[in-house]
Amino acid sequence: MRIEATDDLPPPPELPMSQQPEWSDVTPLPQDDGDSPICPIAYTDEYRERMDYLRAVMAKGEVSRRALALTARVIEANPGHYTVWVYRKRLVEDLAADIAAELDWVCDISEMYPKNYQLWHHRETLVTRLLPPAAALDLPEDRRIAHPTIRRELQFLGRAIGEDSKNFHAWSYRQWLVATYAIWDQELAFVDTMINEDVRNNSAWNQRYFVVLRGRDPASAALDDALVLREIDYAVENIKLAPNNESPWSYVVGMLLRHAPARLYTDLLPRITALAAAADYRAAMTTTPFYWSALVDIYEQHAAAAAAAAAAAQPERAAELLDQARAACDALSTEHDPVRGAYWAFRKTTLV
Amino acid sequence: MAPELATAAHVRYFKHCLNLLPAEATSQDATRMTLAHLCLVGLAALGRLEDSLSEKERAGMIEWIYAQQIPAGRGAAYGGFRGGSLFGPHEACEYAPADSGNVAATYSALCALLLLGDDLARVDRAAAVAALRQLQQPSGTFAPHPGTTELDPRFIYCACAVSAILGDWSGVDRDAATRYILGCCSYDGGMTQAPFHESHGGHLYCCVASLSLMGRLDALPDRRRTLQWALFRHAAGSGYQGRANKTADVCYSFWVGAAIEILGGHALADTAGVADFGLQCEAAIGGMAKWPSYRPDPLHAALGIVGYSFCRPDALPRMSPELLLPDRVVRRMRALADDVTRR
Repeated sequence: MRIEATDDLPPPPELPMSQQPEWSDVTPLPQDDGDSPICPIAYTDEYRERMDYLRAVMAKGEVSRRALALTARVIEANPGHYTVWVYRKRLVEDLAADIAAELDWVCDISEMYPKNYQLWHHRETLVTRLLPPAAALDLPEDRRIAHPTIRRELQFLGRAIGEDSKNFHAWSYRQWLVATYAIWDQELAFVDTMINEDVRNNSAWNQRYFVVLRGRDPASAALDDALVLREIDYAVENIKLAPNNESPWSYVVGMLLRHAPARLYTDLLPRITALAAAADYRAAMTTTPFYWSALVDIYEQHAAAAAAAAAAAQPERAAELLDQARAACDALSTEHDPVRGAYWAFRKTTLV
Repeated sequence: MAPELATAAHVRYFKHCLNLLPAEATSQDATRMTLAHLCLVGLAALGRLEDSLSEKERAGMIEWIYAQQIPAGRGAAYGGFRGGSLFGPHEACEYAPADSGNVAATYSALCALLLLGDDLARVDRAAAVAALRQLQQPSGTFAPHPGTTELDPRFIYCACAVSAILGDWSGVDRDAATRYILGCCSYDGGMTQAPFHESHGGHLYCCVASLSLMGRLDALPDRRRTLQWALFRHAAGSGYQGRANKTADVCYSFWVGAAIEILGGHALADTAGVADFGLQCEAAIGGMAKWPSYRPDPLHAALGIVGYSFCRPDALPRMSPELLLPDRVVRRMRALADDVTRR
C-alpha cells in the first residue's frame, strides 16, 4: 500500500543510540564529574547519551562517517564545545567530506546560534576551500561577485544582517570576505543601503570606514582629497537627518583626525556651524553633545596647528582657538551633556 | 541613603547556580569553569563568599577544578585547564585534541582556586606557561586552544591574566601582544577585536586590561580619547552600552566600567547612574539580567554586581578591575607568586 503525503507526518522518534545497530560495537564512555561538581547541568537524556558516544569515538580519534554525523548532533546542542570543532575539522579533511554540504549545515545552525564564534570561523575555512582566494583574484570584481560561492556568502550575510543589523560577528565576517576577495565596490553600495535603512547603525558606519580605507593600514594609508571631501559631504548630509546621532559625528571627526586633520577646521567646521545657524537645524544642532564635542576637537586641532606652523607661528591665534574649545567644554558640562559633566570639566584642563 | 543590592537573594542565586544549572545551560557545558569563576566572584563581590560556602564545599570545588587540569605528556600546546569534565576522563583520551586546555579556562580555574582560598600548589605552572608560548601567534594575538582560527584580544587578556597570577611572563611575547592590541584602536577612539572591526566595550576591556597587566598602558596612542569613547557609552538614565547606538546591557557595567577604572576615569564617570541601572537589572529571584525584567544568568549577575561595586566602593569590597578578583585576593596572589619566585 502506498502512503500519501508522508511529508505531513512527524518524523518517527529516533531510537536511543544504544539501540541503533550502527553503534552496537561502541562502548559509551560516561562523564566523570567527580564527587563535588561545580555548576553541573541538568542534561537531557538525549544529550547525555550523545556525549557518552562522542567521548568514546573521540577518545580514540575515530575517523568515520558516523563520527562526523555525531559531531553535528553534539554541536547542535552545544556549539561552544571547543574540541569537537577541532575533531570535526579533521573528520571533514580526512573523510574528504563534501565541503558544500558542510557549508549548508553551518548555514542551518548559524540560524540557531548567530553569535557563536566557532561557527563563523568554521565557515571561513570552508569558503576558502571552496574558492581559493588566489584563483578568484584573477577575475574582475563583477565576475567575482557573480561566483556562486561569493554570491551565496553575500546572500547569507544579507539575511544575517537583515535579521540583526548590528550582528558583530556577521559584520566582522563580512570584512573578511570583502578583503579576502577584494569585492570593494559592491560593499560601498551595501553600506549605503544599510545607512539609508538606519542612520544610527554604527556597524554600517564602521564598515564605511573599512571600505573607504580599503582595509589598508590606517597609519600609512593616504586618502585623496576628493574622497575626503566626498566623505565630509556624506557625513554632514546624514547629520542633517538626525543631528543627535553619534555615528556620523565620530565617523567624520575620527576619519579627519587620522587622515586629513587640517580639513576639520577648513571644511567640516564651516559646514556644521552653518547648520547650527540655520533656522531648520539650529535647535537640534546646538543641543546635541556631539556638535559641541566636535567643536572641542576641531578648535584643539587647529590651535595646535597654529602654534606649530613653522614659518609663522601664531601663539595669539592658538590661544583664541583654545578659548573657543574651552567654551565648548563649558557648554557641554553645564548644559548639553551633564551626565559627563565631570569629564568635560577635566577635558577643559587638557586644552593648554 | 542610596538603595542597596538585594544581597541575600543574590547569594541564593549564585549558590543555586553552583549547585545545578537547567538544561538550557547545555550550550555552556564546555565553559563550566568560567561559570564557576563568575558565581564565586559574584559572591566575593558581595563580601559573602566565605560565609556562603562551608569548608567542605570549598574543598570539594577545589578538587573538581584540579581534576580539569590536563596531565603532563599530552603536548605543550594542550596544557593548562580545560573548561569542564565533558571532554572525558584524561586517561581514556588517546587522541590529544580531544582533551585540551583552553586559556580562558586556565584563567578562570586559577581565579576560582584563589577565590576558594587555594594556594595554587598543585598547579602545573610550567605546563600552563608553556601552553601560552605555543598559542601566541606571529601577529601577537592568542588562540584559546590548538587547532582553531579563533584569535582575538579575549585570549591575549586570558594569557596576560594567567601570567600575572603565576608571576611568570615567559609565556607571553609582550611586545608582539602590544603591537596587536594597538592595531585594534579604531578611528572613534574605541578598541575592538581586530583591525577595522567595530569598537566594542568587551574588546576594549580585554585590550586595556591586557596593556595594564603588561605595564604597557602608556603605549596607547591617545588614552584620553579612549577614555572619552568609554564614557560616551553611558546613556543618561540608563547604563553602559557595548557599542554606539546600542541598548545598555548590565554586563558593560563591568567591561566598560572596569576599562574606565583602569584608564583612571573613576571620578569622571556618572557612577550613581550606572549603579542605579544595576539595581534596575536585579531579578526578583536574585542575580541580574542583561536588561530590566529579563531572566538572570551567571555572567550578567556576576559582571553586573562587580560593575556595581566599582560605583559603590563605600558599600562593597574593592574589586580589581584588571583581574575580576577582590583586591584582597590579588594581594594574596602576589604574595604566592613572590614565594614561588624566591624558591
